[in-house]
Amino acid sequence: MGRVEPKQVVLWLAVAAIVVFCLFPFYWLINTSLKSGADLSGAALLPPTPTLDNYTSIFEDDNFTMALRNSAIIAGSVTALSLLIGSFAGYALARLHLPFKFLILAIVLSISTFPPIAIAAPVFELWTDIGLYNTYLGLILPSLAFGLPLTVYILASFFRDIPRELEEAAMVDGASRFQAFRKIVVPLGAPGVVTAGLLVFIFVWNEFLFAITLTSTPERRPVPAAIAFFTGSQQFEIPLGTISAASVVVTVPLIVLVLIFQRRIVAGLTAGAVKG
Amino acid sequence: MVRYLIALVACLATLGLVACGDDDGDGGGTEANVLEPGQAKNASGDVTWCIGKDTSGAFTASIEKFNQENPKLQAKLLELPESADLQREQQVQRLRAESSECDVLGMDVIWTAEYAAAGWIYDLTPVVEKYEDTFIPSTVETVEYEGKKWALPYNTNAGFLYYRTNEVPQPPTTWEQVYKEAREKNGLVYQGERYEGLTVDFLELLYSSGGKVLSEDGETVEIDSPETREALEFLANGVKEGAVPKAVTTYEEESSRRAFEAGKATFMRNWPYAYALGKESDIADEFDIATFPGFAGNEGAGVVGGYNLGISAFSQNPEAALAFSEFLVTPEVQKLAMEATLPATVTEVYKDPKVREALPFAPELLKAVEQAEARPVSPVYTEISQAIYDNVFAVLNGRTSPDEAASAMNSEIEEALQRF
Amino acid sequence: MEAGAARLPRRRRRSVFRGEHRLGAAMLAPSLAVIGLVAAYPIFYAIWLSLNEYSVITPGLSRFVGFDNYSEALGSSQFWDAMKTTVLFTVISVGLELVIGLAMALVMHRAFRGRALLRAVVLVPWAILTVVTAITWRTIFEPELGFVNTMLNTLGLPGGDIVWLGEEGYALAVMIFADVWKTAPFMALLLLAGLQGIPDELHDAAKVDGASGWQRFRRITLPLLVPAITVALIFRTLDAMRIFDLPYILTKGANGTETLSLIAQEELVTNRNTGLGSALSVLTFLTVMGVSFLYIRFIGGNIRALTED
Repeated sequence: MGRVEPKQVVLWLAVAAIVVFCLFPFYWLINTSLKSGADLSGAALLPPTPTLDNYTSIFEDDNFTMALRNSAIIAGSVTALSLLIGSFAGYALARLHLPFKFLILAIVLSISTFPPIAIAAPVFELWTDIGLYNTYLGLILPSLAFGLPLTVYILASFFRDIPRELEEAAMVDGASRFQAFRKIVVPLGAPGVVTAGLLVFIFVWNEFLFAITLTSTPERRPVPAAIAFFTGSQQFEIPLGTISAASVVVTVPLIVLVLIFQRRIVAGLTAGAVKG
Repeated sequence: MVRYLIALVACLATLGLVACGDDDGDGGGTEANVLEPGQAKNASGDVTWCIGKDTSGAFTASIEKFNQENPKLQAKLLELPESADLQREQQVQRLRAESSECDVLGMDVIWTAEYAAAGWIYDLTPVVEKYEDTFIPSTVETVEYEGKKWALPYNTNAGFLYYRTNEVPQPPTTWEQVYKEAREKNGLVYQGERYEGLTVDFLELLYSSGGKVLSEDGETVEIDSPETREALEFLANGVKEGAVPKAVTTYEEESSRRAFEAGKATFMRNWPYAYALGKESDIADEFDIATFPGFAGNEGAGVVGGYNLGISAFSQNPEAALAFSEFLVTPEVQKLAMEATLPATVTEVYKDPKVREALPFAPELLKAVEQAEARPVSPVYTEISQAIYDNVFAVLNGRTSPDEAASAMNSEIEEALQRF
Repeated sequence: MEAGAARLPRRRRRSVFRGEHRLGAAMLAPSLAVIGLVAAYPIFYAIWLSLNEYSVITPGLSRFVGFDNYSEALGSSQFWDAMKTTVLFTVISVGLELVIGLAMALVMHRAFRGRALLRAVVLVPWAILTVVTAITWRTIFEPELGFVNTMLNTLGLPGGDIVWLGEEGYALAVMIFADVWKTAPFMALLLLAGLQGIPDELHDAAKVDGASGWQRFRRITLPLLVPAITVALIFRTLDAMRIFDLPYILTKGANGTETLSLIAQEELVTNRNTGLGSALSVLTFLTVMGVSFLYIRFIGGNIRALTED
């Protein structure tokens, strides 16, 4: 029979602390989503009169369901596109001989640090002029532009760490550069691809400013903007119940996604950071 | 060589586009078009109404009625977000882009001057004057700017003093008395966070003592006055002496309502909406409302809230928009709205027995709106309001003295009025 | 290649790499096109906006004022207060995230069952919508009725009547806490990855030599973690300096929580002061860029190494 070492106990306590720390507000969200009326802002750890009203009310009209669909389409497209063209750019920067590479990378990275609030109005006016207002493409493009720098950086780090010899061997065997890229570099860089993909997906999923500025109807509005339209039954009421229910509905698939890919994410986050 | 020339021209052209992008529609401000009442007669086609979420159901009901009674016209609702700030952003965004998406705009009363000065809405002076006698006078104040009238008052709002009947048998008749009893009993709560709500609460006190923010013509700033200093001092003492809990500086409408309903306060200043909610809460039988008491020996006053209907200057069907707006201010439709708890702007509605049934405090509400005043009607109202709430907030927190705050408000508002 | 081997003469190099140049340009083109069209144009437009003054009364009316907006911004005490608050927030928040994240990573690094689940749990804060977490924290810290104060009062602990979001100092503390909550786990994962890259043999050898846990941590773990720490610091600092949602929802910028992004938004959107608002945005951008350069210079990011041939 093994003795439980004090070290083990400390470790388990630390683990418990981490779990509580991370999950408490999420628990609070679930808790609030099952409450109603005056209980909503109260301190009760368990809902005094649990009810599924909030969940039924957010699905009462189509708006929230449509928002979920819109978010999925937009986030999915941006992720796919950003991985596609981002991997091209990342490879070019990491491997190919080009003039001004550092400058290009620096400019690309700095663009993503410009406060989006300052360009929301210009983009709105531009989109209205060319007819992209309240369209999927109209939202995909800005999210793509802001998601690409991160994608390119992560993928460039990953591709950098793959030994050149593998590609060179393939090219000696007759493959073109691009084929080497497609068949060797990308598969080996899979952890990086998954990481970048997940990061971009969550970034676009959470994006609020462009979502609310560039859409005007529920048919195109993504989730964060749709939540801004939730109302309580009265003026001034912040609909804590429905907002919490909506957030739970929106977060759970994300967590499932993360659970499935989490091993890849961590491995993914490694390579670029450590070896670089 | 030719290639370089082409590139150069292209660059200049782009710069030119960028530079000139904003310069069309110059000086359109005061030469706005006027709409006459008769123009609505042969209107036909679609009308889009851009207003905040239809929480009461009154908007949809009104639209249905309109569409039924006007077969040649088709009105529809474009709902904007819950918060007033987001509503304004969404409207302004479209107006700046000169979009024709919205025909009728549901504007918070404080945006009216801003839209009017920008040339974004039609001059509706003849229309408003046609219906003027039916409106509560203070609601018409909110649509007057530079001698013209720019919108039809659609619904209104005025605050009340809520009090616990089990602690206070008779509502006090002066604010001084309210604060005294609050100190002895369980306190007064109001909206003290650093936002528009604080401006409203402050002005309710200031207007009562006869103070003003701007002169009649809106040209000079008159807020640095003995009345202002007195009001600020009064508010500061309220917090200092415990009549008002410190937590008030984090309260908005909802938080103060919840505190009151949880029994944490004897008095509350809030809008009428809290009445119905209060009647469903634990204190349903233990509270009542009263119109605002007087201050500094004067009559009570209040601040007019609510929404006005403006017609977008970029609408493709202004005649239909006019027909729809006129419809919305007829007594019948106003009654419909009021039964759904949206306070009407038309006086006679308040005397209707069915309305009184739906809203038992209708007479008090009418009195409250009648004794209320409009907030400064100015295109730079948001900056004026900021100057007020920033400084009142600092006074409540004890960070500035009432004298300093009054002169700071004055200079900040002067700066705002200088904006070109 | 052996040391001292000659490089190809310049002419030969260029012709060898021309094919790569073409492929490289083609591979970079789509990304640059998207970024250029969608982000670069509005950014230049915003910079142009910052050089003008736009009429609030009469839209479409503007006048070129050069750097007047910038001197107004740089001369206002509100700007410098916001700068101070933003820097203070960033330093404390990122520092705490690093320390707590590192502690969490060390705990997670110990082999035990359920580690995979723990990693998923740790990503939850990062996965919830930012706006929603801000609203949740605001409700939890509400005075009197909120969870924190009710708990403190029930347990008889001091602080039950603090108006958290209503007092200077406390409000910033709550903001930092909420931000650390959201991102320390993310940091932890990044650092965990770094930890897993350190070969166990190093630690084993050191243990054999009699090194204590603390010595091993200082001499082996930390130095080898520097690259991971640098990347984490850069990205988190850039984000922290631009924070907007949290202060806006918690306090609307009152009580010492007004950040640069908040004042930019106030001028740009609320006051429709396009010129000044754009100038504030550009200044925020320049500040963030300045900080990144500082990092790269002194802590040595691996960004340049990425692009070396």
